[in-house]
Amino acid sequence: MGKITGREELDRLHESLREKEDPNAVCITVCGGTGCTALGSQPVGEAFSDELSKRGLGDKVFVKKTGCHGFCEQGPVVVILPSEIFYPHVAPEDVPEIVEKTVINSEVIDRLLYVDPASGRKIVYDNEVPFYARQQRLVLRDNGRLDPTDIYDYIRYDGYRALSKALSGMTPEQVIDEVEQSGLRGRGGAGFPTGRKWRLARASKGDLKYVVCNGDEGDPGAFMDRSVMEGNPHLVLEGMAVAAFAIGASVGYIYVRAEYPLAVANLKLAIIEAEKLGLLGENILGSGFNFEVRIKEGAGAFVCGEETALMASIEGKIGRPRPRPPFPAQAGLWGKPTNINNVETYATVPHIIINGSGWYAGLGTGTSKGTKIFSLTGKVNNTGLVEVPMGSSLGELVYDIGGGIPRGRKFKAAQTGGPSGGCIPAEYLGLAIDYESLAKIGSIVGSGGLVVMDQSTCMVDIARFFLTFTQSESCGKCTPCRLGTKRMLEILTRITKGEGTESDVEALIELAEKVKDSSLCGLGQTAPNPVLSTLKYFRDEYEAHINEKRCPAAVCEALVYAPCEHTCPVNVDAVGYVALISQGRFKEALDLERQRNPLAGICGRVCTHPCEGRCRRGDIDRPVAIAALKRAAADYGARAGVKTTIPIAKKREERVAIVGSGPAGLGAAYHLAKKGYQVTIFEALPVAGGMLAVGIPEYRLPRKVLKADIKFITDLGVEIRLNSPIGDGLTIDDLFQRGYKAVLLAVGAHQGLRLGIEGEDAAGVYDGVTFLRKVNLKKKVAVGEKVAVVGGGNVALDAARSALRLGAKEVTIVYRRAKEDMPANEEEIIEAEHENIRILTLTAPLRITKKGGRIESLVCQRTELGDYDASGRRKPKIVSGSEFLLEVDTVIAAIGQTISAPFLKAGDGIEAAKNGTIIADKVTLATGCAGVFAAGDDVMGPATVVEALGSGERSAISIDRYLRGSDLKKDRFLEKKRPVDIPWDEANLESGDREEMPRLATGERADSFAETNLGYSKEAAIREARRCLRCDLRR
Amino acid sequence: MATVSFTIDGKNVMAEEGTSLLEAAKSAGIEIPHLCYMEGLATGACRLCVVEVEGQKNLAASCVFPVANKLVVKTATERVIRARKNVIELLLSDHPLDCMTCEKSGACGLEKYAYELGVTGSRFAGERHHYPLDDTNPFFFRDYNKCILCGRCVLACNDVQFVEAINFAHRGFGCKIAAPYDRSLKDSTCIFCGQCVASCPTGALVEKSRCAAGREWDLQKVTTTCSYCGVGCTLELSVKDGRIVKVTTPADAVVNKGRLCVKGRFGWDYVHSPERLTAPLIRVGEKGEGKFREATWDEALDLVARKFSEIKSESGSDSLACLSSAKCTNEENYLVQKFVRAVLGTNNVDHCARL
Repeated sequence: MGKITGREELDRLHESLREKEDPNAVCITVCGGTGCTALGSQPVGEAFSDELSKRGLGDKVFVKKTGCHGFCEQGPVVVILPSEIFYPHVAPEDVPEIVEKTVINSEVIDRLLYVDPASGRKIVYDNEVPFYARQQRLVLRDNGRLDPTDIYDYIRYDGYRALSKALSGMTPEQVIDEVEQSGLRGRGGAGFPTGRKWRLARASKGDLKYVVCNGDEGDPGAFMDRSVMEGNPHLVLEGMAVAAFAIGASVGYIYVRAEYPLAVANLKLAIIEAEKLGLLGENILGSGFNFEVRIKEGAGAFVCGEETALMASIEGKIGRPRPRPPFPAQAGLWGKPTNINNVETYATVPHIIINGSGWYAGLGTGTSKGTKIFSLTGKVNNTGLVEVPMGSSLGELVYDIGGGIPRGRKFKAAQTGGPSGGCIPAEYLGLAIDYESLAKIGSIVGSGGLVVMDQSTCMVDIARFFLTFTQSESCGKCTPCRLGTKRMLEILTRITKGEGTESDVEALIELAEKVKDSSLCGLGQTAPNPVLSTLKYFRDEYEAHINEKRCPAAVCEALVYAPCEHTCPVNVDAVGYVALISQGRFKEALDLERQRNPLAGICGRVCTHPCEGRCRRGDIDRPVAIAALKRAAADYGARAGVKTTIPIAKKREERVAIVGSGPAGLGAAYHLAKKGYQVTIFEALPVAGGMLAVGIPEYRLPRKVLKADIKFITDLGVEIRLNSPIGDGLTIDDLFQRGYKAVLLAVGAHQGLRLGIEGEDAAGVYDGVTFLRKVNLKKKVAVGEKVAVVGGGNVALDAARSALRLGAKEVTIVYRRAKEDMPANEEEIIEAEHENIRILTLTAPLRITKKGGRIESLVCQRTELGDYDASGRRKPKIVSGSEFLLEVDTVIAAIGQTISAPFLKAGDGIEAAKNGTIIADKVTLATGCAGVFAAGDDVMGPATVVEALGSGERSAISIDRYLRGSDLKKDRFLEKKRPVDIPWDEANLESGDREEMPRLATGERADSFAETNLGYSKEAAIREARRCLRCDLRR
Repeated sequence: MATVSFTIDGKNVMAEEGTSLLEAAKSAGIEIPHLCYMEGLATGACRLCVVEVEGQKNLAASCVFPVANKLVVKTATERVIRARKNVIELLLSDHPLDCMTCEKSGACGLEKYAYELGVTGSRFAGERHHYPLDDTNPFFFRDYNKCILCGRCVLACNDVQFVEAINFAHRGFGCKIAAPYDRSLKDSTCIFCGQCVASCPTGALVEKSRCAAGREWDLQKVTTTCSYCGVGCTLELSVKDGRIVKVTTPADAVVNKGRLCVKGRFGWDYVHSPERLTAPLIRVGEKGEGKFREATWDEALDLVARKFSEIKSESGSDSLACLSSAKCTNEENYLVQKFVRAVLGTNNVDHCARL
């Protein structure tokens, strides 16, 4: 075919191409994007061709190698048209079956279907895959159905009609008006209004003008421009041609990285094909308009994405930026007026010209119109290219499209805008993403990189990663960027190695602000963003590295002995005792455990085991059952008749008073006693153990285990005085008067919160902690037949399961959010369900109705999940008119607890925060009153047993230092761990999955507080311990 | 060119369009610190000249920011001073603090602004460069450890002398000034004009001749004209104890506008040569015997005039010829041919440039 001479001829060609097409013909599209090609789509495509010709279907069924489908993680991706059956991860071996069943017999092959990780559901059709279904694809619309090497395929899908419309019916000014009114802003990062840019270039006088396409995509993790250039090159060329017509340019350059060979090849071919048809070159579509496009392959410098550096590179100079003004529109390439836009921007233009500015402006937010492509990567289930309207929330991207975080971990933050952007914490999951909103919270849209991070990401390390990138990509021209980023990187590196000092954070902030304010180009002006934003939202992580030599995500190599040990608030050498158990050495395992944690039997049963959340074995199958192994050590390692194997320091004269015998008080007492101090614990209740005794039910923690662990502590000489509350009768001052040299407040948080709803004063309404306290103290608790428990935490679960054991026939948990949002331990929820406890999620209590002072019912309302709230969860919204009755006679409100410390007096220096917690130094736990320290829930707010223990140990270190007169802070975190002396033996590694915990049959649970978890047998424990990967030996 | 009017530090300033803020400020009597800027050549690299321009989000480099009507510019706010101090502090974090023995001390830009801004060192200790001293040419040392990457040498080489022997190599902290492929200058197009040395604001490029030859403030400046060729470049000799230490030229020199060639800048060692002739000599004894006596200029010229006259009268004018030198000025060459034609009476006159 020769050159197309006008609009009518192009339209006729378009029509004839469509008419020729058989709408029922089967077409097998095989993704030929770089991701799928790397995963082996080439042989899959060939296998289809071979198989079809073998069966004589070669000319009936068409195999098409398309551009990138965007769902790269599922590659090689195959979609069978017209039915749109979607097969991910297709291998050449699958091809004969697909041809036989799906192509010939129109059957769906179940085993090849995509499984949605969020719902576990199998999905048949392309457009039903959640990853695609929730996108609005405009620029990427045709990527999955076009053959990028065939210009006729492009023309068939309305290709070059925008150009023909502009050339035949619009003036350049009208084109600019249209683009300006559409609200399109530059997709390369800065978001400058495209129409305005074009107008400036048009207004500039010059005998020669240029149009430049910036394809120097350099953000780590961003690949949308690559996909568009590879998968739909004509769309980019058409957008450039429209721009050239609008500003009066005759030459265009595409600056594309040489490391994008497929993009270069497809663009080159597209230019040749377009020139052949008269769609580029001289006298385009017979209009007299000339425009030629040249390719400039870049060598891969990040800074060449900056427009002035990019132009220098095209000119053959060193790719270094120069100051603006003059702007490219005034004096650009070789000093001529030049318009530079990014690939995605040009690829948007044809859609605007065809559909009109009004249509485009209808998408997006007030100031940010249209759609934006994001490269969704990192710790998210569905990775790939995602195109959504501006104004979509981060939560929609991560959860609805991205399918959430793998392995059920928690979303921590997302980095938008690559190394120039910032991190966005969970509290902004509900934020509508656009140029302005992201700028407001310290990030940028940038080119659309979106890296999702979960709990296993260290924010200091991530800032260091991005700065390593920007420092090595800094061109070195201006001082702040060249040296400022270097010094910032050095500080960050120091911090991640545990060598940071307190002044480092201030130095970082100062450098960051100066580098931002005084660097020459965008690279330096944005390079500090990852540091500033992580400092803004995760400053505590920086402080943990600096002050405590601790990496909360257990990532920073220099600080982490093993992730399990590092994550444990008590830093128990878990990997060590697991190794000992793997050799059947239970006694030694218990001794090692008790070096840090005196409550081995208790923690082995009730610990929330944050260690397991970071266990590396969990990245392979499931984490090692570290807590259950601790229990095995406690159960099998106890030495009958042996009081203690713990070395005790020489007895010291100083006496220490501890208020409260919960895990914080017990932990502190243990560590102080080990150091030789004489410790007395004052306990208000008639039993020792605090929440361990009156909060946690017996079926989870048998009393004899509790007593044994407490005895282990009292055997060291610690005295516990029961029924001895601190208050008017015995004040803190009195304790000092009596000769105690230091006092630790560890009174816990025993005050349940009220629901604040109508009817709460009825008999039969309890708060969770009061209810559990009564149950545990064996006081009479009236529990009816039908019990409702409000709340989703561990207290709610404990109350519900206790109520069942007290004779309730029907127990319902009412929770206003979704099940996955419940803060309770997963195994607790599973066990509750085994016990036939009904969990009514998305339900909120409205009022309690009474009859004769007794509860008649709990009136509830349905909720639905709305936008993400500050906790990073979807906010439950009441569904109007959804009220319903829950017939119950008992209501237990377990929605949280607070501390009650009536013994605090004004003027003694100990102050409480608004939420009632005692104010103490984060590291030393010292209160404002000399010699008085505070640990556990009364400082942290309601926390876990192991956190309370850790807090207790921490306070003990401070009290020891206080009594010795040494600095409370200096060098307190310098202890280095040594791995246990058990070498790695690969032959011993257990490849099987986690051992299941033997449990009491559900039938035996009602009416009984017998322990439900029965513990591993010795053999099972050894097997389980042999699953450990021994992270401690890495160093 | 239109004139625009704006304010700098509250002062009304008029300047021609196209002027930079730094230049406009200078003509208004406001000095803005700068390291990378050279007369008429600006890259905006060092960021020491940053100022606050109302309406601009970031600080602007005044050396490259064009004047415009109604601009409100502040050159000495706290934000500006802190940014400048930061630049000096960062530069010092990778710069030897050996000013006490540095040849550049007293004429060093970094030293000057560190002093003016009161920056005594750097809080940002970290990796430093330890490049070996480049001693590969006879004229100057290159000490990369003192290089602040201002790029003035690159401008001098590429935009003043148009030699293009050096440019920036590598990126980030590894960035350095280099000849192509980071090879020796000898293997490049370098002509050793020393323009780079003259433009260097620190001790990174130093004439070998001035090493250990005296402190900058002890040098006496003597203005003279280069005797090598007819261009007549202005030279400024730095002299100590009657000996030349180095040769430079003022930026505003009428003939050469701050430029010199290798001979003018480095080719002056003959000045102190013991073999140098300092008075006219008249031969005594036989030709070839090599015996001479000192004479006065009058005596010597009289002798030459007498000999010329004798030859002319004995053998005719055309027996005489004159070859003139390119070291002479045009005026001198004009006089030579006039003398040959009018006095000697012959057309036998030629010039070395024709050979």
